Amino acid sequence: MTDGTPILEARGLTKRFRGLTALERLTFQLGRGEILGLIGPNGAGKTTLVSLISGTLWPTEGEIYFEGRRIDRLPPHERAHRGIGRTFQVMKPFPGLSVLENVAVGALFGRGGGERHRSRARERALRCLEFTGLASRAYDRAEALTGPDRKRLELAKGLALQPKLLLLDEVMAGLHPAEVDEVVVLIRKVRADGVSILVIEHVMRAIRELADRLLVLHHGEPIAEGHPDEVLSHPRVIEAYLGRRRA
Amino acid sequence: MTLRWLAAALACAALAAVPLIAPSAFRQFGTEALLLASLAQAWNILGGYAGYPSFGNSAFYGLGTYGTAVMMARFHQPFAVGLACGASLAVACACAVGVPILRLRGPYFAIVTLGLSAMLAAIVRNLAIAGRNIGLILPLTRKDTLFYELALGLLVAATATVALLAQSRFGAGLVAIRENEEAAAVMGVATTRYKVAALSLAALITAIAGGIHAYWITFVDPASAFDGSLNVKMVIMAVFGGPGTVLGPVVGALLLSGISEVLASTISTMASLFYGVVIVVAVLFMPKGLWDAGRELRRRGLPYFGENLRRYRL
Amino acid sequence: MTAPVIEVAGLCAGYGEARVLFDVSLAVHAGEIVTLVGSNGAGKTTLLRALSRLVDSTGTLRMLGRDLGRLRPEQVFELGAVQVPEGRQLFDRMTVEDNLWMGAYRRRDRAAIEKSLGEVHRLFPVLAERRAQIAGSLSGGEQQMCALGRALMADPKLLMVDEMSLGLAPVVVDELLAALLEVRRRGVTVLLVEQDVFAAFSIADRAYVLETGRIVREGRAADLAQDPQVRRAYLGAD
Repeated sequence: MTDGTPILEARGLTKRFRGLTALERLTFQLGRGEILGLIGPNGAGKTTLVSLISGTLWPTEGEIYFEGRRIDRLPPHERAHRGIGRTFQVMKPFPGLSVLENVAVGALFGRGGGERHRSRARERALRCLEFTGLASRAYDRAEALTGPDRKRLELAKGLALQPKLLLLDEVMAGLHPAEVDEVVVLIRKVRADGVSILVIEHVMRAIRELADRLLVLHHGEPIAEGHPDEVLSHPRVIEAYLGRRRA
Repeated sequence: MTLRWLAAALACAALAAVPLIAPSAFRQFGTEALLLASLAQAWNILGGYAGYPSFGNSAFYGLGTYGTAVMMARFHQPFAVGLACGASLAVACACAVGVPILRLRGPYFAIVTLGLSAMLAAIVRNLAIAGRNIGLILPLTRKDTLFYELALGLLVAATATVALLAQSRFGAGLVAIRENEEAAAVMGVATTRYKVAALSLAALITAIAGGIHAYWITFVDPASAFDGSLNVKMVIMAVFGGPGTVLGPVVGALLLSGISEVLASTISTMASLFYGVVIVVAVLFMPKGLWDAGRELRRRGLPYFGENLRRYRL
Repeated sequence: MTAPVIEVAGLCAGYGEARVLFDVSLAVHAGEIVTLVGSNGAGKTTLLRALSRLVDSTGTLRMLGRDLGRLRPEQVFELGAVQVPEGRQLFDRMTVEDNLWMGAYRRRDRAAIEKSLGEVHRLFPVLAERRAQIAGSLSGGEQQMCALGRALMADPKLLMVDEMSLGLAPVVVDELLAALLEVRRRGVTVLLVEQDVFAAFSIADRAYVLETGRIVREGRAADLAQDPQVRRAYLGAD
């Protein structure tokens, strides 16, 4: 596989629920080591797209390729084994478990099937916690974390899978601007490690800092794609999404 | 760690020695209690660790009972063959119904399992080889202590299995499924496969308990083999003792059996009332089971009960 | 000199052994828009819950001069302090119209309720258009409007809004902010808890900054927006 192959590709991706079309013939690519930002109003299909890529949903029409191979009919755990990780919009830590145990689950079942032994999984989990700056809270209960620490936990869980592609679903929600800056630094660190990232966000501050390219969805269809500066000054995007104040 | 295994070995040895010194009435109570404890432990695997509460494990108990009975009564096979037959039937059944049923979440899963046992009982009632409604009679053996030791052996094996499971990758996967199934799937846990495996393991243990009971009582019929009340008992015992822990269900089962027995012999008229009161009080003050209460009481003392009351108040 | 709508002094509150708020004092006067900013876990939602008496607290807690200390949540609601909770908490399976009517649950005067409904429809025309739609199927922004509308149907004196902008597109947040300004114009006082500090400061008169359970800064929003410490801690680098 040459360097030119995108790590993720969607072709003609369509998802219909009873009477509602969430995505309509969406085609796009994500290059290796790229950070692609996905923005758009609620109901535009962003979370549906993430669910289609991670395997929680299957497309009505169209295909998804990961590293050149088709994945759109694989179950979610298979996709994790191939190297796709995701975070959840609503923070979903495993509540009864400690921070370390939460991350260890990712290490036990991640890419290639993960570690066979819990002790090695815990070692990898600790390394992920160090990477995200949570090592000091490894033995706290996961529910005790708040704010940016919760986000760090979600990121650590995703990293424990050793993903090649990470899907970040509104990871900045609920953070004030200075906290957003902290998490942006962390995500850049993740990309520097070689992970390709698809970021879904409403927090424009984060998107502007992170995205190499932006894709804007509206009613399940792409309305703009390209460099953030271009996209964010596109009139249709301003009208449908940004509003005049932040243009 | 080794200290714990040593303590466990001593406890088992002590329990094993009991029938040699105790009266036969106690031996009988003991065998029943140990079998119930095994059922609670088996339920614990899918219900406690994976979070899928089955109300139909008596189906597997019945299959174990009848597998053993048919082999021994009709084909004159030794006990071991009977057990193997019963266990195989139960595991095959678990795999067959597991895949469709385990797709259902929470309450829907529980409701469907309720029907499983009744369905199998109805099938058995129509099979000549199983003796229809009349039932089957197994060969008699007078060795009471044998059944006590068998029941103890099964409980030890079941508990050891759960102990190993709790430390294993498989166990971590089950717990992840319980805590958040969608996240578990997306993180690489093969959820359906794991749930069916847990159900099969539970079925295996439950069936062997049924087989032991059949040989012990020497008589099986559909009503007693697929006894629905067993479902409630095993769930209450596991939940009372501490679901998702290694020793919780054992302690819960033995304790509740003991209380029930004492009440029945002393206050026999109002025994069930007191039993009910015990359960209600337990649910109000220690909803996470005895095991959790024991651990937290040491840490935080009496305020534990007050907090539980307030947190789960209706 | 009329009493402030909300007056809090020396408030301490928490959950069981965990204390969250320490010696909090603040005031909201009639017709103001006051915002409360701070990190997650700083105690902002706990403060709103203490005001609604959903959480026990010690210290002074007064609304329009009336001591709230021993009141139950329904009684605080009756006095006119209505919350729009984080995450909207709509009745997902009921229609938009039913959700709005539920807001007026404790009111008796049918004519007055109808009048309120009309006002809510004028403020958020989309709620009139989609009156028969199931609330759970609305978009995020529409759901937030429905939640605000439902709170307004209770004819509140004080509207406490928790994390309104969470998960919403910028253009929608702007619409909601404009709606809050209109709500204030109609005589309702607003206490706004918000992560999007820029959005909050754009409409608020005064602001309080809550850090690990204590008020660390207070003053006019315009002043705080320029304050270097606040900028560094909350507004981030430019």
